[in-house]
Amino acid sequence: MKTVFIVVFITIFLAGCQTTKPMYEYENYSESFYSMKKEGGTESEAQWKTSLESIIKKSKVKAVRVPPGVYANLGYIHLKANDKENAIIFFEQEKQIYPEATKFMDNLIQKAKTKG
Amino acid sequence: MSQISKMKALLTFLVVLAVSGCVAPPTYVTKGEEFPSMYVEKPRALLVMPPINLSTSAEAKDYYSTTVEMPIALHGYYTFPYQLTADVLKQQGVYDSELVYDMPLNKFYDYFGADAVLFTKINHWDTSYTVVASTLTVSIDAEIKSTKTSEVLWHYNGTVVVDLSVNSGAGGIAGLLVNAIATAINTAAADYTTYAKVANSRFVGSIPYGPYHPMYLKDKEIKLIQQKHEEKTSHKVSKPPTKNAAE
Repeated sequence: MKTVFIVVFITIFLAGCQTTKPMYEYENYSESFYSMKKEGGTESEAQWKTSLESIIKKSKVKAVRVPPGVYANLGYIHLKANDKENAIIFFEQEKQIYPEATKFMDNLIQKAKTKG
Repeated sequence: MSQISKMKALLTFLVVLAVSGCVAPPTYVTKGEEFPSMYVEKPRALLVMPPINLSTSAEAKDYYSTTVEMPIALHGYYTFPYQLTADVLKQQGVYDSELVYDMPLNKFYDYFGADAVLFTKINHWDTSYTVVASTLTVSIDAEIKSTKTSEVLWHYNGTVVVDLSVNSGAGGIAGLLVNAIATAINTAAADYTTYAKVANSRFVGSIPYGPYHPMYLKDKEIKLIQQKHEEKTSHKVSKPPTKNAAE
């Protein structure tokens, strides 16, 4: 009898704990973007890159879509660092999740392929 | 009371009456009534343009630009990566959003695939400081324009006014001094970006939800305060004087 009571209690408790899933996991996107604009320099740029990668990881863990533009921003960072292969991979990812980005991503992929 | 002061009192009373009569209560409209074109065109991809800075603060543009993407994306739209698109626009010679504001916007669809463009104007980004009184104002005017028709699909203003004055309640000259110093510190430390985000929330809420939001196309009946917008005068961008070859 006691175990039944405990099980019921835990079930109700857990059900009450369920919160609605957030639409996107932005973490500290806004803050690191702001730091990059305010301070500039390689350190804040590296932090920006890290925050983008972290958003992707967290989104996968929480099973939510990666926010618009995150993959594209990361691809652009790689493009600027002359890492064409990874840049294209990230642009393709952006296209996959957001078909609205297709035109722009295709233009960027073209640019990446013909670069230097 | 003398005749003159009676007249003064009457005059004051009449002025107050007249002025209070001028303050109209807010008119409420639904999203569907106010922005019908949004529900007809149904833009999915929004290009967030670099803000147009009409304020007295030079840093406003950079700092404000970091706050727009997120709330728009959370409202359900596909937002193009701001940093990337700003660079691309510069490469195409678009250094200022003002340059394209009055022009046909179909090129933004051709290159980016954007259904619509979000323009923001920073009207105020400043503090009005008078030693013992300090007010911070952030005022943003935002518009969504279609890339197909270049028509304005949505227009709203978000303004935040914050009182940064400190009144410790202490009396006398010493009290004034304490208040003045505290107000100065408060003003210097004021983080405009925090208030900018509040200003954003005041206009983002009026945008019809985008395709990635659960309430997409289900929010026509949501009410908002109707705003009156002045007739727009195009911002004439003056061309730099062409240099004579002989000079």
